[in-house]
Amino acid sequence: MTESAIEAEGLSKRYGEVTALDSLDLSVPPGELYGFLGPNGAGKSTTINVLTGQLVPDSGTARVAGVDPVAEPVCARERVGILPENGRPPSYLTVREYFDFVAEARELDSIADRVERWADRLAFTSKLDTLCTDLSQGERQKVLITQAFLHEPAIVFIDEPLTNLDPIIQERAKRFFRTYAEDGNTVFLSTHFIATAGDLCTRVGVVNRGRLLDEFDPRELGEETLLDRFFATVDADSVAVDPATPGEKEVTEPTAEE
Amino acid sequence: MAVSVPYLFEEMLREEWRMHSRRFGGRRFALFPAFLTLIAAGTAAFFAVAGASERSLLAGLHIVTALVGLQVGSIGFVGREALKDLLGDTTLLIYSARTLPVEERRLLFIFVLKDVVYYAGLFIAPLVVGAVPLVVLGDLAVSALPRLLATAWLAFGYGVGLSLLLVGLATRTRLATAALVVSLLAGGVLRPDLAAAVTPYGLFADPSLARVVASVAVPVAVGAVGFALFEFDRRTPARSVADQYRSLHDRLGTLDEYGLLAKSLLDVARSAGGLWKLLFSQGIVFGVVAVLLGYLPSVVPVRPSPGLTLAAVLSLGAFTTYNWLCQYEDAAFFGTYPVELGSVFRAKLIGYLLLAVPTGLFYLALGAAVFGLGSLAVGVAVYLPVSLYVFGVTAYIAGLQPTELLFDTPVFAAFTAATMLVLLPLVVLAIAYPLAPTLVAGLAVGIALLAGAGGYGLYRRAGQRWTARARSGTLD
Repeated sequence: MTESAIEAEGLSKRYGEVTALDSLDLSVPPGELYGFLGPNGAGKSTTINVLTGQLVPDSGTARVAGVDPVAEPVCARERVGILPENGRPPSYLTVREYFDFVAEARELDSIADRVERWADRLAFTSKLDTLCTDLSQGERQKVLITQAFLHEPAIVFIDEPLTNLDPIIQERAKRFFRTYAEDGNTVFLSTHFIATAGDLCTRVGVVNRGRLLDEFDPRELGEETLLDRFFATVDADSVAVDPATPGEKEVTEPTAEE
Repeated sequence: MAVSVPYLFEEMLREEWRMHSRRFGGRRFALFPAFLTLIAAGTAAFFAVAGASERSLLAGLHIVTALVGLQVGSIGFVGREALKDLLGDTTLLIYSARTLPVEERRLLFIFVLKDVVYYAGLFIAPLVVGAVPLVVLGDLAVSALPRLLATAWLAFGYGVGLSLLLVGLATRTRLATAALVVSLLAGGVLRPDLAAAVTPYGLFADPSLARVVASVAVPVAVGAVGFALFEFDRRTPARSVADQYRSLHDRLGTLDEYGLLAKSLLDVARSAGGLWKLLFSQGIVFGVVAVLLGYLPSVVPVRPSPGLTLAAVLSLGAFTTYNWLCQYEDAAFFGTYPVELGSVFRAKLIGYLLLAVPTGLFYLALGAAVFGLGSLAVGVAVYLPVSLYVFGVTAYIAGLQPTELLFDTPVFAAFTAATMLVLLPLVVLAIAYPLAPTLVAGLAVGIALLAGAGGYGLYRRAGQRWTARARSGTLD
């Protein structure tokens, strides 16, 4: 049996009174484009932060690319790519210099060709010598997507990758994510955009209040839409907590969560 | 209907408080004015006991409040990116003109007004309360305290008004701004009597109706001119620069593990003020100490060793270098890459030594040129290890967010206590230096070396401490 690319068992994490992850189990095989869906504060970003060694869970175990990210966070981050939500490339480096910095941090030898390819793919060649502080939000997102894939990792965690991108670039990025997974790599996509997940993913997990509630292949839904299935799952969970307000419960968690 | 000025003012005041209290220790932030009072009171008591001239101390208080005003006045005009570097991803009401029908200049006016009121309460009032020991230990009359508070506020307003004028003028012509700065400095040096006569200190020392009018009218008038002159920069910048990262990284060789050092150095060199800001900030420290060293013998019957005094104070001033090295990223930024925070602190230490040491040595040499070569060697021997101590203390206590040192009271208190532990003995030794130069020099170097070793130990622990905090999710 093939070892999972991403494996988590009983992950729990609390921020004071707030439960961000509640015994979350997860298993993602290689070659999967896995969509991680959930409302605000559901625990999506916390899950990514734990799986990439940026956060230590209160309990539970994880294994990513054959490494325990809790015990060996740097080794885990060597093997994966990360596109953080709301990330910013460093202000006073140019785009080209930033990629050189990424290459140094990841100990890559020659990246010039890869940078040119990515600049062409996401249409930012004219911005390569511009200071990152002077980029628009969309241009910053293109740069951050590139850094996540620059070392061609077997597993990539991407948090809301299409934010601020124009429709043409969105399509190019989606096509790339799909091809990347088809080549045997694992793409872990966290998003609020149901349509994007339905369009791209080979498997989808619905998370709410820190628990994985449902997991399925969106291509096998038949008559039911992904949006219907998502609402039904989250509403059923909300009713279990507060029967008076199905589907209307406001979910709030600290900013560290998102 | 347009949004009213009182409404926006109140909301901006609330926003400022929440931003500070959320960022700097929650409700603990309320302790900050009390801590400031404590420091001011300690300083006043020290000088009162030492027999310093009360007149000079109160003049100094007015100068300090005017300098705070200069700083506060310029804050409203710095760009959004600069605020982002300082505060993180922050969206303030002052930027509402982009989305709401509120005029930009009106927002800026209310923003500055809010800053004046906020900092008058948070900084200036505690500093004046800290002058109370002069009533107990000196000759200051209790009845003079309300007048002192009023004139200190006016001096603060003077600083704000002047700052508005300079920034407003600078958006039109930099040459005229430079000429104005030079004229003001020359006026202050050549005719201090005249300068004192039209400033709030003159009003405090010798009240008259004409001085009341001057102290109120001058800051209002120059501030209004500054507002009128100010031109908003609506261009979208797109600065391109030649690739320097790779060549700098290559030149740094093994010093630059993971390319972290080259990044930090370029951040400092390319941000506003460039590398000149290092020379400028330590230049202010040097200027204040040099004036004190020249002036002190006429106030108290001592003449401290210039080299030792300069070394002690400049090493504390090197804190700003660390601040700049850390201002453009945080621990979360490095969480995306396979690098340990220990490596990040190593890069910051090397960057700090590369930038702070030459700057400090330059001013020590300048001090030797002004005050004589006598204690230059001991100054150099003390400056290097004590700078390392200041680095270690800052890295350990504040991590990669040293700005927090300024406002989070317990963090600030810990930093103050740790630095005073070394700096106070050094200042005392600087005073005792003329009595037994060789013995005192040996003691001072011994203390500095011990401090340097302690600082190195703290630096070595900083990576582990801040990694644990980042990974527990307790960092913002």
